[in-house]
Amino acid sequence: MSRDLAGLAALAGALAVVPALAPSTYVMALCNIIGLYAIVTVGLVLLGTSGQVSLGQAAFYGIGAYASALLSRDLGWSPWLAMPCAVGLVAATAYAVGLPALRLADVFFVLATLGVGIIVNVLMVQLDPLTGGASGLRDIPGLALGGRRLTTDRDYYYVIWTAAIAALLLARNLTGHRTGRALRAILGSEVGAAALGIDVSRYKMRVFVLSAAYAGAAGALYAHYIRFISPSPFALYASLFFLIMAVVGGLTNVWGGLFGAAAVTLLDQFVRAEMPRIFPRVGGEYQTAIYGIVLVLIMIFFPSGIVRGGLDLRRLLGGGRHPATTPGAAGAEPADGARA
Amino acid sequence: MLDLLPQLLLTGLTIGSIYALVAIGFVIIYNITGILNFAQGEFPMIGAMLCAAMLAAHVPLAPAAAVAVAGTCVVGALMERLAIEPAFGGHPLTLIIITFGVSMAFRGLALLLWGADPYALPEFTPGAPLAVLTGVLGRQAMWAIGLSVVVVGALFAFFARTLPGAAVRACADNPFASRLVGISPRRMALFAFTVAAGVGAVGGIVIAPITGVTYDMGLGLGLKGFVAAVIGGLTNAPAAVLGGYVVGMIESLVTGYLVPGYGSAITFALLLVVLSLQREGLLQGAGRRQV
Repeated sequence: MSRDLAGLAALAGALAVVPALAPSTYVMALCNIIGLYAIVTVGLVLLGTSGQVSLGQAAFYGIGAYASALLSRDLGWSPWLAMPCAVGLVAATAYAVGLPALRLADVFFVLATLGVGIIVNVLMVQLDPLTGGASGLRDIPGLALGGRRLTTDRDYYYVIWTAAIAALLLARNLTGHRTGRALRAILGSEVGAAALGIDVSRYKMRVFVLSAAYAGAAGALYAHYIRFISPSPFALYASLFFLIMAVVGGLTNVWGGLFGAAAVTLLDQFVRAEMPRIFPRVGGEYQTAIYGIVLVLIMIFFPSGIVRGGLDLRRLLGGGRHPATTPGAAGAEPADGARA
Repeated sequence: MLDLLPQLLLTGLTIGSIYALVAIGFVIIYNITGILNFAQGEFPMIGAMLCAAMLAAHVPLAPAAAVAVAGTCVVGALMERLAIEPAFGGHPLTLIIITFGVSMAFRGLALLLWGADPYALPEFTPGAPLAVLTGVLGRQAMWAIGLSVVVVGALFAFFARTLPGAAVRACADNPFASRLVGISPRRMALFAFTVAAGVGAVGGIVIAPITGVTYDMGLGLGLKGFVAAVIGGLTNAPAAVLGGYVVGMIESLVTGYLVPGYGSAITFALLLVVLSLQREGLLQGAGRRQV
């Protein structure tokens, strides 16, 4: 497990030198978006550790953004107070959703979260007096730190990645210890986990609320960073996008979540830059064709994610040697639960 | 206020008939393969788009519609062979995610092929609408409602009266035992996607003269069709058709009497209610399918 901490330290070190090496606004903004998506994706991966998938993460991301924006803009709260309150609201919403939804069998739980996501998005558009409707909310206050207003992408880079590393650290601690073993036992077999004395429904509820809180925190940061929000980034397609990031990373590996967020965001940037050269006439969201195909290919060839799939491939090519046990990797072995 | 009611119900019935056709596709595929196909709503889009493309090439409506339905069947078969078959037997969630991926791919490819502008199809039989109480029912709406009933009847006759239909039912009931008597579940899966695609294409072509067709109509249609199928219990085709009409009418009534714009929110609230009410039944259904 100390390899995880070393990895986090290396990540923090690498992140600290990025602004010095590539101080352009574009790189900083790109890194910020990756950081925000990584927080959401790591939350989704935490949920995946227990064998659940949510298609409502964009709604939680959006509730976090709208709540923090409204509290700070219309009630004049400090963003530093508004953001935790927004996260609390998201967690409460997730709890209310989870009460009936978590009783459904896995597939129908996904569909319930999908339904919630669509309802929340409709409310964002329709509750015009509160949310500004389709045109969204402008002039959201930015963050200030020690009396200094944060204005540049580089200022936010430090804030967002501090949050992202904290999110990774918390997720790593959870999955590396008792909770993680319990969640993996639930993934292996809910009945088996229950027989070992694991309170299955309570763990599932906790991890669902926590994953929603991750998305809510990222959404709140997003609102104060971009300072303008509208309903469209929080629609169903965003939930599918987060899901793609999580499955690229392997759905059960916390590090995979970070990798997936970075890989998919970079792919998105590349596609947006290159596609117009190949198809100059067409506008709109046609890059979904590529994401759709990528998603299908990953699910067919690497159902446990690219990171993990690469390891399996290496083992295959290396003549069937046993792979080194990667900490935190998709350890679905029910035997882990015996020690929980 | 009340004299609006017949018109709203008729509109709901019309829109509901396409939800019904999408829902039938859901039920066919779920019964035979245990997969929830969220690319189902893309088939009406593809069918209507193909038909519009052929009309633009001066093909008459009837052959254009027939070729469009056949073409969509091929798309459905290709989807099964290229995306579903390689992952067959995987976790149900894996397969659901794949169908979402296929849905995104279809949507993006349709945008590349046909652009973002809406297309319209001509009415099958232009003419004056029929007055029903205080509302009117257009000729095309009659086509939509009539075709949804005919398709359900034809499928019912096929499943109940013919030998291939019996093979499909056997496969839905017990894939392992069907293999023992020489029915290939893989071939049945291919059949399910082909038929579901064709049924969806019929729905798309018949509704396009009323609503138009855009590249991004598939996801919404698929989700509404899914809600209709769940209301009908997910394994019962006639009940899924009724579910389609219910969803269409609820949407129409909400838009007419309450507030426009909340239609889909109410539909999905209904999904949540039905899911939690039918919990036992659905759980048993899902459990049986996974075995």
